[in-house]
Amino acid sequence: MSVTTTPAPPLPVRGEHIRDAVSPLLSRLAAERATGVLLREFGSLYLSDGEVVHAESPRSPGLDVLLTTGGVLDTDGWREAVDTAGAGLRVGRFLVDSGRVARGALELCHAGALFDAAYFVLGPGGAPASFRYGAAHWLGPIRPVPVATVEREARRRRDLLHRIWPDPTTDEAPLIRAAGLNVPPVPARQGAVLGQVNGFRTAAEISLALGRPAFHTLVDVRRLAAAGLISTIRTHPAKTNTTTGPSPSPSPSPSPSPSAETRGVPVPASVPIGESPLTVNDPDIALLQRLRDALEAL
Amino acid sequence: MPGIDECLVEAMRLPGALGAAVVDWTSGLALGTVGEAPGGDHETTAAEAAELARLAAEHRAFAPEEGSDWSGTDLPVEDLIVSNRDTYHVLRFVRTTFDSSVFLHLWLARSDGNLALARIRLGEMAGRLVLA
Repeated sequence: MSVTTTPAPPLPVRGEHIRDAVSPLLSRLAAERATGVLLREFGSLYLSDGEVVHAESPRSPGLDVLLTTGGVLDTDGWREAVDTAGAGLRVGRFLVDSGRVARGALELCHAGALFDAAYFVLGPGGAPASFRYGAAHWLGPIRPVPVATVEREARRRRDLLHRIWPDPTTDEAPLIRAAGLNVPPVPARQGAVLGQVNGFRTAAEISLALGRPAFHTLVDVRRLAAAGLISTIRTHPAKTNTTTGPSPSPSPSPSPSPSAETRGVPVPASVPIGESPLTVNDPDIALLQRLRDALEAL
Repeated sequence: MPGIDECLVEAMRLPGALGAAVVDWTSGLALGTVGEAPGGDHETTAAEAAELARLAAEHRAFAPEEGSDWSGTDLPVEDLIVSNRDTYHVLRFVRTTFDSSVFLHLWLARSDGNLALARIRLGEMAGRLVLA
């Protein structure tokens, strides 16, 4: 196993813009020990006395999903905790005091969820940030983290993903298994991700299904992409027009594992390119795989 | 019931303890640190220890023969021990009932450290940290 040491390129212009726009705001809020919520395009960051106490993003599973998927609590137990202690803004404390969740387990799980959501909240996004003073989250403080730590970690995570595999397209697009490869054994956690790849689900949806922090899934997805085991579905609108033919069924093929025939050969004209997300028709990936096989055979 | 910080403080009470951390091995993030770190840098130490932990956890060679834990959700590896001329590192994987990839990292001075004791205690701490 080789470790790629290519330095990450400087963040794109949007990222520079964010670094200029968000960091001073966050730094100022930390300096003035502000309490409230920072709202951005991909989620929100809750501050209490200038420290980050919670983060939420639609791109990452919430604490409830992480705890209930693993069986720490059932959904009734979670709902009861929120009903009982939500109004008092101390759900986290209630979970521990009532013996539902061990304190260490809650801290570990919540810290994981906080940094996970913060990665998306602080990522590149067009909308300007706004801060609502005084707002507090109903979970209550669990283990506050300094603003600088959260920002530094978000940047480090972007660099980490880039070092694993520099193509970010797998982060958001529906994922598909590469066809025709004899899949080598993959580590258990990557295997769990690979098992969820069906041509429709995105990394975020796989995280939800597994009850796993979204960034963890992104890491495994990039590793699987680097190994050539998965890729994204690319639609080719121009080709779609020429190959669709007399209106085929719009329902995509349900076949869970694409067959070997599609690897590196043109897709039959009867298959509507771009309509069936289970069709591998990306010549670049096939070429790269053949190139890799040839290099490994040297 | 101990939280992350109490667990780290307890680890520092072991003879020869120089520093300790709770680390996520998928991201390389230190969720909590205490005491010293090699080179004075807890973040770099966490990222490097995470890489070592990940390799141990992911390679079949280190998984138990019986029970085929490698493909399941159970942890294939309990702990890792690295020794050098002057210090020991003990990495203890934490088993949680939610999806996670966390380990405790204890850095011990070789002159005063008791590796066998540290290994046993760290295992107990990892259990107490997540048990209700």
